[in-house]
Amino acid sequence: MAGLLRRRRPKPADAGSTDPSIVSIAVAPARRMVKVCGEVTRMRARPTTGLPALAVSISDDSGTAVAVWTGRRAIGGVVLGRRLVIEGVAVRRGDQLEFMNPEYTLLRR
Amino acid sequence: MKIVIAGAGSVGRYMADQLRSSGHAVTLIDQTPAIVDRFGSDGAVTWCLGDACEMATLQTVGAADADVVAAVTGDDEDNLVIALLAKQEFGVPRVVARVNNPNNEWMFNEMWGVDVSVSTPHLLTAVVEEAVNVGSFVRLLSLEGGNARLAEVTLTDTSPAIGIEIASLGLPRESTVVALIRDRHVVVPRGDTVLRTNDEVLVLVTGDAEDDVRRVLVG
Repeated sequence: MAGLLRRRRPKPADAGSTDPSIVSIAVAPARRMVKVCGEVTRMRARPTTGLPALAVSISDDSGTAVAVWTGRRAIGGVVLGRRLVIEGVAVRRGDQLEFMNPEYTLLRR
Repeated sequence: MKIVIAGAGSVGRYMADQLRSSGHAVTLIDQTPAIVDRFGSDGAVTWCLGDACEMATLQTVGAADADVVAAVTGDDEDNLVIALLAKQEFGVPRVVARVNNPNNEWMFNEMWGVDVSVSTPHLLTAVVEEAVNVGSFVRLLSLEGGNARLAEVTLTDTSPAIGIEIASLGLPRESTVVALIRDRHVVVPRGDTVLRTNDEVLVLVTGDAEDDVRRVLVG
């Protein structure tokens, strides 16, 4: 259960953007723990099989990744234009990187 | 394909055996030492003694490059945790989970990382229903979290579909006839296949088309 419990706790702002472990979205490998950083370009509350989920698109210079948080329609601080660091295991869906319930860090505007 | 099965009860072991004989690389996880001691000597399947609800166990068996994870323990809570970890922490493309108590089935969906859920009680009910209900619409299986369903109708001579070609039945676009069972043989349906009394018609239905399909086949 450890993996479940460490989720969804935003870290203090500011950490991250210069973190050397951050990779660009275009080259981020699927199915491995990765960290990407980008700006929120699109937000969608989408029902997955009738249940709430928030899909947030994050773009850096190289591409766009989608982070899906299940069971919620909004996350405080996650708004269009905000810069985030996303850390988790992603899968490739089509040509897009998709994270499910990743850890996130809000960066100072 | 690399398949990880959590839960080495009779269900898990049977699956492992079948899948291995079709050439897949199968790993079985169980947390009961007695089970692993007793069956673990089967060299064709990789065994792992451990708790599949733990990240470390899934890591050990290589969930990170598994094609399928099947959570088939006798405990629904465990199956959900395993499914969620497999999907969220390892990005497993296909996650299958077993529902033990039908009251829990509503939770076995994308939110918990489950791609396909299999509920034995529901299957049994469907099979019994199918055996006793000639001329009515019986749901056999739900796919995609209930968005698509496989249903079966045994045609009686009062069915409005008797003597009509499948293409002219006027079935809704959200449905398709996938097979016919006629005189104990499976017939692959074509547009010009004419339906007869006692045909068992298997229909795949998505969305809300069920009522229309029922109207076409049952009346």
